[in-house]
Amino acid sequence: MAGGQERILRQRIKTVLATRKITKAMELIAASQIARSQARIIANRPYRLGMQRILIEAASADPAAAKKLLAAPDKVATSLVLVITGDRGLSGAYNASVMRAGERLVTSLRTEGTDARLVAVGKKAAAFYRFRGMPVERSFVGFADRPTFSDAQFIAATIAAPYVNDEVQQIVMVSTRFHSAGSQSVTVQQLLPLEMPEPVIDDQPQKLEGYTEFEPEVAKLLEKLAPRALESEIFSALLEGAASFHVSQQRAMAAATDNADELGQNLSRIMNRARQDSITTEIMEIVGGAEALRSGK
Amino acid sequence: MATLRVEIVSPEAALWAGEATAFIARSSEGFFTILPEHTDTVGDLVPGVVRVEAAEGEMAFAVHGGFFQCVHGPSDGETLVTVLAGVAELVTSIDVPRAQAAKEAAEAVLGVATRDDQSDETAHQMALDALGRAELRLAAAK
Repeated sequence: MAGGQERILRQRIKTVLATRKITKAMELIAASQIARSQARIIANRPYRLGMQRILIEAASADPAAAKKLLAAPDKVATSLVLVITGDRGLSGAYNASVMRAGERLVTSLRTEGTDARLVAVGKKAAAFYRFRGMPVERSFVGFADRPTFSDAQFIAATIAAPYVNDEVQQIVMVSTRFHSAGSQSVTVQQLLPLEMPEPVIDDQPQKLEGYTEFEPEVAKLLEKLAPRALESEIFSALLEGAASFHVSQQRAMAAATDNADELGQNLSRIMNRARQDSITTEIMEIVGGAEALRSGK
Repeated sequence: MATLRVEIVSPEAALWAGEATAFIARSSEGFFTILPEHTDTVGDLVPGVVRVEAAEGEMAFAVHGGFFQCVHGPSDGETLVTVLAGVAELVTSIDVPRAQAAKEAAEAVLGVATRDDQSDETAHQMALDALGRAELRLAAAK
């Protein structure tokens, strides 16, 4: 009977609206997290820039010492690839685009004859790479949404160990850079050997002129700087990844909410028509019945 | 006028910035003082207390290791000192009971830590670092 269809439609509308409630809530939560994670990126900037400035200063003062520490090795037998993803899904293409970039990188390294070891931040990466026959050696989970500096220190210590033991000769990071709320991009950055950062574009240029003192001497200072600079780079990548995740999630959930709105509207239109139809049919039946009774008299 | 501007920066936040007359800290080479018009310097800081003679009085910061850079600032006669510290805090804001608890927790970890494999070594190192931080906090707060 026509009433059955109406009931089914009503049920579906209810489901769509319930889903909409969830996506709307997730959208609002993500939006509130964007501002916070952006503020953390801004708060991190002076440290990151200061670290890069000191590194440039020290490296340019004693190129020989810098070369020993920072130069690429003659042959890279094994690379360690650090992929920074999120712990949660429902964030559009955020996780997938980083993981695909990581997959491409590993594939290209392997075709060049370099072995690649995978380390990941975020829950999503392990399953993705296992399915593709690239097991993840180590996953860091639980802090992708709100990374702290000690998380970055822990990652840095863990991935630097095989580099120090010469098990790997290169560490590369695949992460999402947050340029603004409207623009993020997946980038591949070499972490170790440390790449000389691009000369910093700073609002207050502080070019050291002439003589600079170093305490202790440059070679020793560089040795101490390298691990801290590694932590700093990883931390800023974690912060930018978190901000990118929230932006992606907000966008995905806004789209899902719009979709639910549209679906709900269409369904209620169909339902109303079905109800109208069934009413019309009923009236026709009654009228038809009455007519039959009268003519039968 | 020769002035000194000090910035104390950690990865999570800029801790303090302001005018000062002197900056006293300890690098791996020993204690040093930076006054306005100091030579450009780059160096490290060993865990300890950094003192800043600011206009509003002496400020003390517990700095758990880091680096500093002293440069001539953008405007004339200004000397800029930037401290980059992984962890740093105002001595007056140190939570003594919490530091005491952290110290005990770290000691407990160190008591049972075995150094069989790499992850344990990392955990051991982190406990050592935590212990160092807690001890510096307690010493600085005294």
